[in-house]
Amino acid sequence: MDHVDHILIVDDDREIRELVGNYLKKNGLRTTVVADGRQMRSFLESTPVDLIVLDIMMPGDDGLQLCRELRVGKHKATPILMLTARSDETDRIIGLEMGADDYLVKPFAARELLARINAVLRRTRMLPPNLVVTESGRLIRFGRWRLDTTARHLLDEDDTLVALSGAEYRLLRVFLDHPQRVLSRDQLLNLTQGRDADLFDRSIDLLVSRLRQRLLDDAREPAYIKTVRSEGYVFSLAVEILGDQA
Amino acid sequence: MTLSFRWPRTLASQLLLIFLVSLLCANALSFSAQFYERYISARSVMLGTLENDVSTSIAILDRLPAAERASWLPRIDRQNYRYLLNAGEPGEPMGSDDVPMAVKSIEDALGEQYALTFRDLPGLQKHFQAHLTLADGKPVTIDVRPAPIPLSYWLPVVLVLQLAVLLACTWIAVRIAIRPLTRLARAVETLDPNAHPTPLDETGPTEVAHAAAAFNEMQKRIAEYLKERMQILAAISHDLQTPITRMKLRAEFMDDSMDKEKLWSDLGEMEHLVREGVAYARSVHGSTEASCRVDLDAFLDSLVFDYQDMNKQVSLTGKSAVILDTRPHALRRVLVNLVDNALKFAGTAQLQVGSTARGELSIKVLDRGPGIAEDELVQVMQPFYRVESSRNRGTGGTGLGLAIAQQLAVAIGGSLTLSNREGGGLCAEIRVGLG
Repeated sequence: MDHVDHILIVDDDREIRELVGNYLKKNGLRTTVVADGRQMRSFLESTPVDLIVLDIMMPGDDGLQLCRELRVGKHKATPILMLTARSDETDRIIGLEMGADDYLVKPFAARELLARINAVLRRTRMLPPNLVVTESGRLIRFGRWRLDTTARHLLDEDDTLVALSGAEYRLLRVFLDHPQRVLSRDQLLNLTQGRDADLFDRSIDLLVSRLRQRLLDDAREPAYIKTVRSEGYVFSLAVEILGDQA
Repeated sequence: MTLSFRWPRTLASQLLLIFLVSLLCANALSFSAQFYERYISARSVMLGTLENDVSTSIAILDRLPAAERASWLPRIDRQNYRYLLNAGEPGEPMGSDDVPMAVKSIEDALGEQYALTFRDLPGLQKHFQAHLTLADGKPVTIDVRPAPIPLSYWLPVVLVLQLAVLLACTWIAVRIAIRPLTRLARAVETLDPNAHPTPLDETGPTEVAHAAAAFNEMQKRIAEYLKERMQILAAISHDLQTPITRMKLRAEFMDDSMDKEKLWSDLGEMEHLVREGVAYARSVHGSTEASCRVDLDAFLDSLVFDYQDMNKQVSLTGKSAVILDTRPHALRRVLVNLVDNALKFAGTAQLQVGSTARGELSIKVLDRGPGIAEDELVQVMQPFYRVESSRNRGTGGTGLGLAIAQQLAVAIGGSLTLSNREGGGLCAEIRVGLG
């Protein structure tokens, strides 16, 4: 592979962006560091990049604004990884809602950042999703369920919240992003491994059966996730992205 | 045995006592003054009547022929005195110091015309007689039996009624005076600076309204003070994140060595403390998260699976089949903190869901670790408190995990209690009311 991934790092703290840049460079990536939104825009004018690492807390245009801006412009396909200083849920939710692909809470370890960058790159390259969840459509409807993609839980017809474990959510997202498409166990494994890659080692079959239970799907006659013999699984229902509703 | 008066302890009974005693005294005084005045006037009227009556009656007897006198007697007899046509009983001579008023009246009426002698007749009913001789030489005796001034039968009833009204009014007055005070005391008692302040009703009498306003003002000040304290904690914690990030990044460029290891673990500890500090500040701040209906079984299942996916030994027993109206992130944080604690001290954690005798939902996090000394079970939920045995670096911890759990448990309308298990280990129980 000749292609070296080019990472753009946007952070107002000079030391952090340089340390991150150097670390990624040391690990075989091409990096460019900029201090704010203005510099980011002018750099992107001339050079496309493979991934943008964006700090949320910055003077001037903050990361969330920049993220939203990128998502509607010509760089909407460029993956974004957000750095946030706040670990509470609202930030995470807002970050993902604005269209970031992943996020990392400060303080983080450089090798964790590297792992996340690689995971995001692998994920977006392997199988670009058919559906793109955007800011205005964070609810995905299928069958009797709605999936809240920011809070990461299911809602039934009565608006009762049905929680999902991290692995269950990731698997369901993969299915919902690629409906009516047969996915092999290897593909599923790779796509669900996004984060916590080294922690997750359950077999896909077990995870699918757990997800079916959560969806109240009958394993012998499944309505949602069907088994395709010797190939893998397919999500067989129509999937619809809903506008933002309360 | 000595009967000593004990001043009552409650303000209500003190006021009641003071009001009652003073009102009773005032009433008794005015009643006796009136009674005395009435007695005096009634007596003077009676004596005046006696004087006229006696002189008329004796004059009639004197004019009548001796044979007719006896037939007149019933017509001139009165309730208190009557006339006898004989010399009467000898009795005793009247003492000079105890002469009834009637004697004087009779003397005034007859003394000028007749020679009078008064005799006391002691006995069961003490009375006296006046002896005199009519013009024809026949003796006449006036037999006087003093009777008490009659009291109307309804007077005691009025008195009792008056007493009852007095008692009732005093009681009402005391209640009115005391009620705002009890209300204030209850408000102060239930004052929880961490919960949303519930202002006291600022209506009622001026003093009461004033006290309520002052209380509300104080409540506001406490809340502001706490908020400021938390903001400082949050700000410090937050601002530490940038330097820690730099240090962690820099440490990663160091060559592998013992020093790097140690620096790394120190930074890890600092990072943890900073995160918990922010989390604690937020938990006290009161959660802004909205409540929603949560399928509890799925909720606990997913939590346990997340741990199992990280190869942690966490299990779940029991099913609740409950749809709980709660704040899911806050509840999750409570459970995560408790499970993390159990994992840290025991290596395994068991979640048990059920209900209490009072119909509350109970979620227990159980472990088989060392437990906590009985006298520290409550303190351990205070921020930055650590049990003695966990002060060493091995088990470290920030001392905030349980404080956060406790704060958030309260924020979602529940409670958190710790207890030691039979056979060793700790039981952390969250109780939330259903419906």
